[in-house]
Amino acid sequence: MHEIRFHGRGGQGTVVASIILAKTFFETGYQVQTFPLFGVERRGAPVEAYLRLAEEKILVRSNIYEPDYVIVQDPKLISLVDVTRGLKPGGWILLNTPGPPTDQGPFEGFRLAWVNATGIAVELGLGTRTFPMVNTAMTGAFLRLTEMAPLDTLLEIITREIQAKPEQNRKAAARANKEVQLLGPVP
Amino acid sequence: MEIHTALSKQPAVLLACSTLSTDTNMTGTWRFVRPFHDEKTAPCGAACPAGEDIARIQMLTGRGAFRDAVETILLENPFPATCGRVCFQFCEGACNRASFDDPVGIRYVERFLGDMALAEGWARVPLKEPETPRKAAVIGAGPAGLSAAYFLGLLGWSCEVFEAAREPGGLMRWGIPAYRLSKDVLQREVARILRLGIVIKYGRTVRPQDLARIREEYDAVFVGCGLSRSIRLQIPGEDLALEGLDFLGRIRRGEVDAVSGTAAVIGGGNTAMDVARSLVRLGAEPIIVYRRRREDMPAFEHEIIMALEEGVRLMELVSPLKANRDGEDIILTLQEMRPAGVGPDGRARVAPDGERRQSLRVRSLFTALGSSAAPEWAPPAEQSQQLLRLGHITIRNGPAPLVFGGDLTNETQSVTDAVASGKMAALALDTCLEEGWERIIQSLGRARVGPGPALSMESYLGGARADRNRTVVSFEQLNMDYFQPLQRILPTIQSPEERRAGFSEIEGVYKKEEARAEATRCFNCGICNECDNCRIFCPEVAVEAGSGRRILLDYCKGCGICVVECPRNALSLEEEAS
Amino acid sequence: MKQVLEGSHAVSEAVRLARVQVVSAYPITPQTHIVEAISEFCSDGTMDARFICVESEHSAMAAVIGASNAGVRAFTATSSHGLALMHELLHWASGARLPIVMAEVNRALAPGWNIWTDQTDSLAQRDTGWIQLYCEDGQEVLDTTLEAFRLAEAVNLPVMVVLDAFFLSHTFEPVDVPDQDTVDRFLPPFDPRFRLDTKNPCAFGPITGPDRYMEIRRDIQAAMDRAPEVLAAVEQEFFSLFGRRYGAVDAFLCDDAEVILVVSGTAAATCRQAVGDLRKTGERVGMLKIRLFRPFPATEIRAILPKAPKVAVVDRNVSFGAGGIFAQEVKAALALHKGNTAVYSYIAGLGGRDITTATFQEIYLTTKDTPTPPAESVWVGLAQEERA
Repeated sequence: MHEIRFHGRGGQGTVVASIILAKTFFETGYQVQTFPLFGVERRGAPVEAYLRLAEEKILVRSNIYEPDYVIVQDPKLISLVDVTRGLKPGGWILLNTPGPPTDQGPFEGFRLAWVNATGIAVELGLGTRTFPMVNTAMTGAFLRLTEMAPLDTLLEIITREIQAKPEQNRKAAARANKEVQLLGPVP
Repeated sequence: MEIHTALSKQPAVLLACSTLSTDTNMTGTWRFVRPFHDEKTAPCGAACPAGEDIARIQMLTGRGAFRDAVETILLENPFPATCGRVCFQFCEGACNRASFDDPVGIRYVERFLGDMALAEGWARVPLKEPETPRKAAVIGAGPAGLSAAYFLGLLGWSCEVFEAAREPGGLMRWGIPAYRLSKDVLQREVARILRLGIVIKYGRTVRPQDLARIREEYDAVFVGCGLSRSIRLQIPGEDLALEGLDFLGRIRRGEVDAVSGTAAVIGGGNTAMDVARSLVRLGAEPIIVYRRRREDMPAFEHEIIMALEEGVRLMELVSPLKANRDGEDIILTLQEMRPAGVGPDGRARVAPDGERRQSLRVRSLFTALGSSAAPEWAPPAEQSQQLLRLGHITIRNGPAPLVFGGDLTNETQSVTDAVASGKMAALALDTCLEEGWERIIQSLGRARVGPGPALSMESYLGGARADRNRTVVSFEQLNMDYFQPLQRILPTIQSPEERRAGFSEIEGVYKKEEARAEATRCFNCGICNECDNCRIFCPEVAVEAGSGRRILLDYCKGCGICVVECPRNALSLEEEAS
Repeated sequence: MKQVLEGSHAVSEAVRLARVQVVSAYPITPQTHIVEAISEFCSDGTMDARFICVESEHSAMAAVIGASNAGVRAFTATSSHGLALMHELLHWASGARLPIVMAEVNRALAPGWNIWTDQTDSLAQRDTGWIQLYCEDGQEVLDTTLEAFRLAEAVNLPVMVVLDAFFLSHTFEPVDVPDQDTVDRFLPPFDPRFRLDTKNPCAFGPITGPDRYMEIRRDIQAAMDRAPEVLAAVEQEFFSLFGRRYGAVDAFLCDDAEVILVVSGTAAATCRQAVGDLRKTGERVGMLKIRLFRPFPATEIRAILPKAPKVAVVDRNVSFGAGGIFAQEVKAALALHKGNTAVYSYIAGLGGRDITTATFQEIYLTTKDTPTPPAESVWVGLAQEERA
């Protein structure tokens, strides 16, 4: 079983990203389970969402404490939230950041990947300049990390699930899938 | 699909359920007091000199039953379009809604209905036919004379009206400025009256000495020739002044185009306001000169406010001493007055304030001090078994009874009071000829609205209104749980600037929806508007709906909830007869 | 077709497929996405139903009572305080023998304000005459809702389909949404035994004196008594069409168990995982999920639990002064049995506190190591300072 944790902000489509990925993996043949951080939702506040992937039926319905992957949609969250909390040693952390992270100290012992999802989203006119919608780009990037589901399936799901600007969202996912940089283990 | 045994063998459900009818439970046997639909008198209708069934008119208007509303009015008043414009709305002064938010705009609704009646050509036809044909002579085609003829016409009489002028209407035609009542509206209302077969003979001045001959030719005579003698100032130089009513008549005949300069109008009644407001429209700068204070003026407050809004100035506590010509101007010498207590009639008194004088330079001078009957037309003053003074009329018995009415006998000089006078005359004459002289008082008593003096044709003819309780419903007797504050709806009203520009009508008329909405504000005091509160609240389902509401006494247990929950006090409770 | 569906929407889909005719709800917290989706179905024509938006949950229940009495299939959904507000009318619905179905999302009661899962809200309504079914996952929620209409209409009692807040209501997972034709074969149009009918007038719920009341109550009890048999029949039909069944209870690896963990709701799923994990390490542990709480399936329970010397009932609820509610019922069910099974009572996961596989391991080990059950319920997972 693979467990994934998403970090984002209220209104940033974090939960939608987790649902899109869940559906993508389900279409690919996995059992899935996804849920938001249970509680009160507020725009701009740090939020989390969770995703379980497994070959067999998923029984556990408790929260995810030791994820295999962490997806960070907003780089500013790193100073606010302990994004590596519980992340398994050697687990992946996917960052949305404009360039390679200069300070990789916090990610020691994990594997690191980054993608300029904000840049992609702004270029494609997703969200606003101050509040870009990076969720679809992040899903595209995440697929490269796992290589467990084809990009085409993701693009199909985005077409089905995203009402606003589906074309640009597909482009964002595809571009991020291509541009994501897998830096690998951080010593 | 195969139905499993557990699903197919279902025992019946044992339910708390009753198919018994409550009809078997004669709860009426428990009763010792009984409610009954007891329609009472609304204060508006009692205050209306013409005795209109205003609460019902509002109810019908609110439902959009405009024709029924119009016919309800036309039973009691031949002049809804006119009264809807010029009536001094005694009804609104009595309206219970005033104790809640604002009185219902009854006059606006009446104008709406009056105009609609004219537009649609709705009219009343005679309501009965006397066994012997009756024929009445009416002296004067003013509001009283035309009303008398109209109501007699409804009672099946034929009438001939003698009018000195060439047009009908009397004071409505010559004494009310066009901005309050257009000629067209008046003419069409008169035309509707004439559809009852009434004939007006124009240019026929009747002198008192002609009466004897007329009484021989007709079964009855109504004298409604109005007050033809103006009250004089009796000061030196008075002949420099124009008499107000004459002046208004000249305007309406188109003989006055413009008046310039300052004009003094002496008087404080409604005619003084009409003269001053007309002068504004003609280009003059009128000043009302009044010997008492504004609050003592006999003019209606509404008229005073409108006059002041239009730029009429007011000098209070000054009494003219003399008028002198000075070239093109007139110098009016005024004695300053001071309040001096209250007279026995309840009106404020004034007295000269020493020798304090003022002089007022004006270009023209008008008097509007009221009128009195010409001595030869004064109603008889003697006491006699063959003479009745009944408020709105004085009637003298004879082979052809003779009635003096309208302004000759009315305390308040208004169109609506003239209608009241005409109606009282018609009912009195009809009773006199059909039942006899001695039956008049009783017959009019039967026809009175609430405590009177207003009379109802419907009640006279024994209609449903005759059964109505004469108690006037007060605000405290209504159930306010069922009413919400609602803004009084106003028709469009010209701004003072627009008003000064000419003689076009000041007030607009409601749109249909506005009329309905405003009429819906009416509490319908004392009458059943089928709101069904009695039926809904009755714990025994003992109120039956149909035409009106009926109490089923087999089931009514006399709890009185219906009486309490009736919003408009149309029910009462009485002891069960033992 | 299988699709990734939120638990709340699994209910909504079932309500749509059940061709419910009247839905009434008060759409504010603690309401869930259930009626949100249904209101959209009603407005876009997906469902031919009247959605009555009311001003309180009390009114929501009143509205579906009226609708059901008029002879149409009616549904509502609520949660925690909303359910508490309905209390009076819950009695009415069952007393009037109306086959209303209600989805109830288990949320905690205030104070302090807590919208997370906790079963005390629905268990506090156990004496209202409603059948209660507690669900484990999204598929079971959808299937149970469909079964609930059959069950309710067969015994003329209302049915509450109960699901955990968030762990089920807000969790997306694959759910097989059946096609309408098959559902129609399973669930024919509602054919009420009685209804408001102007042609055959009668008064429902009139005054019922001491001479009649007791028999009517006895009939409700009789209907409740028949419910397990009817549920089994309904499930038999459901299984033949859809290939899924759940039972009043579900025993998992109980036959040779030294300790049987008794659970309900989503905790049952996590418990299956925990039991499986423990079995791999050689522990003889089993699980009994209680799905039907009212009527309480005492017969089924007596057929399973006495196999083990120890039973650990895990309650996500508490009856203050008495402890875990399932534990009380289990003890009462076993009282008739002349066995020696010891019942251990644990309280865990109140107000949304997580119940993990580790929680079950801890409960299992504690039960195994404690020779005789304590008199009181044991609270599991309390913060350290509070435990002291």
